Amino acid sequence: MTATQTATRPPRTGRPHARPNPRGGGDRGTLLLLLPALVPVLLFSVGPLLYGIYLSLTDARGGRNAVISFVGLKNFGDVLADGDFWSSFKIGLIWAVGVTVLQFLAALGLALLLNQNLRLRGLARVLAMAPWAMPPIVIGLMWRLVYHPNAGILNATLQNLHLLDHNVDWLNDFGTALPAIIVVGVWTGMPQTTVVLLAGLQGVPKELHEAAAVDGASVWRRFWNVTLPQLRPVIVTITSLDFVWNINQFAMVYALTQGGPGGRTRLPMLFAYEEAFRYGFFGYAAALGVAITLVVLVVLGFYLWGRMRESAR
Amino acid sequence: MRRGLRSAFAVAAATVIGLTAGCSGGGNDSGKPVTLKFLSLAWQKDSLAANKRLVAEWNKANPKIQVQYVQGSWDNVNDQLVTSFEGGDPPDVIHDDSSALAGFAGQGYLTDLTKLIPTELKNDIPDAAWGTATFDGKGGQGIYGVPFLQESQVLLANKKMLDEAKVRIPTVDAPWTWDEFQQITKKLTVGKRYGIAWPLKSPVNKVLNLSLNFGGTFFQTSGGKTTVKVGPQEREVLQRIHDQLYKDKTADPSTLGMGTTDPLPGFYAGKYAMVPAGIYLRQQLVEQAPSGFQWVTIPPLKGQTTQQGAVSQTLSVAADSKHPEESMKFISWFLNGQHQADLAKGDWLIPTSKTAAQDPTLTSDKYGWNVATASAKSLVLAPYLKVNGFDEFKSKVATPALQSYFANKISLDELAKKLTDDGDKVLSRYAK
Repeated sequence: MTATQTATRPPRTGRPHARPNPRGGGDRGTLLLLLPALVPVLLFSVGPLLYGIYLSLTDARGGRNAVISFVGLKNFGDVLADGDFWSSFKIGLIWAVGVTVLQFLAALGLALLLNQNLRLRGLARVLAMAPWAMPPIVIGLMWRLVYHPNAGILNATLQNLHLLDHNVDWLNDFGTALPAIIVVGVWTGMPQTTVVLLAGLQGVPKELHEAAAVDGASVWRRFWNVTLPQLRPVIVTITSLDFVWNINQFAMVYALTQGGPGGRTRLPMLFAYEEAFRYGFFGYAAALGVAITLVVLVVLGFYLWGRMRESAR
Repeated sequence: MRRGLRSAFAVAAATVIGLTAGCSGGGNDSGKPVTLKFLSLAWQKDSLAANKRLVAEWNKANPKIQVQYVQGSWDNVNDQLVTSFEGGDPPDVIHDDSSALAGFAGQGYLTDLTKLIPTELKNDIPDAAWGTATFDGKGGQGIYGVPFLQESQVLLANKKMLDEAKVRIPTVDAPWTWDEFQQITKKLTVGKRYGIAWPLKSPVNKVLNLSLNFGGTFFQTSGGKTTVKVGPQEREVLQRIHDQLYKDKTADPSTLGMGTTDPLPGFYAGKYAMVPAGIYLRQQLVEQAPSGFQWVTIPPLKGQTTQQGAVSQTLSVAADSKHPEESMKFISWFLNGQHQADLAKGDWLIPTSKTAAQDPTLTSDKYGWNVATASAKSLVLAPYLKVNGFDEFKSKVATPALQSYFANKISLDELAKKLTDDGDKVLSRYAK
């Protein structure tokens, strides 16, 4: 009797020591307070995620009263062997890296400009936000008009400037389709990036700039040696977020090209969408989704790890 | 006052009870009307008007079976249907085309209409057309839609240029052969003007439909397994179009990336003498062509035959529909001879109904209607309709391969190898 009691006691009494809880007994209270925030997360993020993982292990296919059976990792084996998917993934990487880098450079320029004491700065800042207010589908439709081969403003402008002697079908030409949508991607994502960088810029202490100026540092030197290092954490955050957003981009490209011409702009998400909603391979499409998530996590992990190590030095 | 109110309540209560009683009594002879959702993909102005007018007429005449018009679009109908089928709440009556039916029928989403179709409707539509809606469903072969509008491939030609070149204007009974067609495009190619413009942004259906002229089917089935074949018959049309582009130089290469309607402005401006087109394109010419622009409809070309692959627009009933009989009643009324003629005029297509084909407008020589209507006899079942997985084959393999071939980036042999190797791989996913 006593032996069992002593045997069970240590873990119970040991708990407070193993997990120090300075506020004492707040565990349940904290959970209760977290609950309202947790419920939607569990319901709308974790739930679908788990369901997606489950689907990816089955042979779910479109069909009325279709019978679903468990197939283990077969779908993932098929993903590895699917050349079409990997070529689509390559396009996805070109797109995501291209858009993220260009977006960052353009947004940094814009943020630096908006950080100056210009006239009408408030108005300029508001205007710079405009693309943010538009849903991706609308952006896609709008740019489709810009790129229209016969009625588009781009062809008209270029011809008026005598830079072009015939109409180019930007979104349907094998060579120009991907660059064309990258331009739209950069335009769309610039506001977020600009806002974040602008906030970062305003956090750079003026004293540092003044001190550097007194020491005779040129504008370029001050930017390179003062502004950039101060901005580093912001840059790391926004570029990694941008990368994730871009590689998962769907609606805008769907509206622009639907993956054409001949699959030249078929981003991985479009590929997975087609597998599911066009050809009816739900299980396989879910496996593609999981695979994309894993690859993005790995790429991002390496990037963040590298950055952290650099800044720790 | 108060009493009046009370009695009003009583009456209302009585009617509610009466209604529910009528309902539980079953049947639709009495009681609550049923409501059918009708997903329509009509988009041309006249066709939209005809669709809506017919639905309104039906609703007025049939208070017990009300039809709710739902507007869909050809651009995203597949996605819309897949999601609504999966969600278990599809429209009752579905407008689509035969190439989409094969997949949906195989997945069990559509009702087999074989036993529901009234004899009158059955006899009014020829068997060849019914063939375009007959597929292997879950419960064996059945008819999964009522075919009503069909399209044939013709050429639209600038009348003045044909006259100047003194070429023979063909008729349905004496059509141009492909050889003759190639000779004539040479004659019509003068200076900066080309004989023809091939808009080949979506080349697959066009090439496959035309290849039947030489008996090219592109698919063969043996032992329940379908594979792609590109033999001498399949190569004819491919080679001839390629020759026009790069050997004869009678086709304008800059139109290759265009969709079907895109070359029209150039056609009006006299940049090319002819454009290949589905017969529906005549409508755009009537509406847009500059005044004084004279054009003729050239009937289907002849290889060994004038046969072309045909698909039909169809009306189907969802398997999840609670009112299949009422839906069929509506469909058979909606697609009777007179109404089909109206719909055909609205969409500038050929009706499947034999009665509708007698309509005076559809047989007059105005706007090439007589040629269009007569070209119906060239239409045969497109072989790819019966191929499980054709949609994926088309978008992943055939479209990019054909685009590269027509852009002269790969040879005909390389194209054939691509189509068969990669195509067979795709089709094997769908083998049962």
